[in-house]
Amino acid sequence: MLRTINPTTRRWFSVLSSLKNTAASEPVKEPVTAKAEPLSEAREAYLERAVRVDQAGELGADYIYAGQYFVLANKYPHLKSVLQHMWDQEVHHHNTFNRWQTENRVRPSLITPLWKLGAFTMGAGTAAISSEAAMACTEAVETVIGGHYNQQLRCLANQYDLKWTDGTNGPTKEIKSLTETIRQFRDDELEHLNTAIEHDSRKAVPYILLTEGIKGICRVAIWTAERI
Amino acid sequence: MFKRLCQVSLRRYHPSKGEHLNSSRLGPLNYGLDSPQYAVLSHALKVSVPVVGFNERAIVHSLNQLNYPSTMLSVIGASNSPSLLHSSPAVMELVKFHLVQKRLQLSQDLSSEEKPSLEDLFIKRLELNVPIAGHLSQLLSHVSVPGPFTVDTALPELHRLSDDLIYYSNEKDHHDFAWYSKRLGISCAYVSSELFMAQDKSHNYEETFQFARDKLQRTMQLGEYYNNTEEWLWYTLLNSINLAKSQMARG
Repeated sequence: MLRTINPTTRRWFSVLSSLKNTAASEPVKEPVTAKAEPLSEAREAYLERAVRVDQAGELGADYIYAGQYFVLANKYPHLKSVLQHMWDQEVHHHNTFNRWQTENRVRPSLITPLWKLGAFTMGAGTAAISSEAAMACTEAVETVIGGHYNQQLRCLANQYDLKWTDGTNGPTKEIKSLTETIRQFRDDELEHLNTAIEHDSRKAVPYILLTEGIKGICRVAIWTAERI
Repeated sequence: MFKRLCQVSLRRYHPSKGEHLNSSRLGPLNYGLDSPQYAVLSHALKVSVPVVGFNERAIVHSLNQLNYPSTMLSVIGASNSPSLLHSSPAVMELVKFHLVQKRLQLSQDLSSEEKPSLEDLFIKRLELNVPIAGHLSQLLSHVSVPGPFTVDTALPELHRLSDDLIYYSNEKDHHDFAWYSKRLGISCAYVSSELFMAQDKSHNYEETFQFARDKLQRTMQLGEYYNNTEEWLWYTLLNSINLAKSQMARG
């Protein structure tokens, strides 16, 4: 009975008859499309917060550089190209996270207008003190952002080891791409940190006061943007 | 109350569709498509509610039709806490089911190539109300009794609806405060259209659809007014800064 049903186990006395079967008896391999387990609520909530806070952070960075550029670009022509380069990178980061926000339907931070105003004021205000103070502001901001990105990368690496239907474990392509994006952006931010130090950020006059104050403001802003 | 409002209306991250298994639960509901609750409530919504309205009789009628014991009435509402000021938990569940299922139905049969306009989708959602339109005022009063049900279920569901309406249509989405104002405007337009529909006696609810189109258009126009004003203010601000700079340069 079985033999007649399954052509591969059928035996023939003829030697050549197996030739005509070989092509047909090959099981048609369908591409394995494994799926990952659905994200738990906690994982979704974490991603939501991460995308929102990163978007708000990059928006802030964008506006800080806008403020600095507004004040410094004509006063110190040698800083113009440096600032322009950093600002362009921040605009790219901002646009990238804007895309993440709309495609994954995360709500933006409710107090976005306040972030815009605060960031522009911070950039323009420190730049008004001196160019070194502006660089000290950059140094403080990028230090906090770099640390925060590292924290997110640790969480993404540890907590998103999902089970797949084919028995393997691992993150989805989407998580991998988010990790890659954040890693790239963290490196960019740390490059800005180096640039700021190269341009005499340490010589700013109330150095400790400025950097520690701005670091504090950034931490409070991160805490708020994750929640509101 | 406020804290709960924040927690409930949290809009969750939507992971990419292709890579994950479908969750066994259906959005904010605690059960999936193949559960007995779903069978009973969808039957009730389709068959019993148009006849008897949103009440326990509708659910009991469907339970009898589907050969379930009528004591299942208490199981169906189990996820809602009983409330003195509100109707029975099972009726609340029926109302919640109506809101969620109609919203999901909206995005089910959309073609992937061309997105519909916001107005078309808005009208489509109102059209889904037509079978139960006679009992719409009953539904709206269930939804708007102030209390936990409104805060936990009705309002978040309204916001999810306006979010879906924008996401699945070709409407431009925003990255800043406009994200909130646009959704708020659409939610208001939707609620007022439903209120209008509850009182509408015209043939095939033509007046409702006309009202909804006008309302939506006016909301969008309001946004346009705001944008134009903002743009003009920016222009004036930058202009005056440049003017001041040039005057200073002249000395």
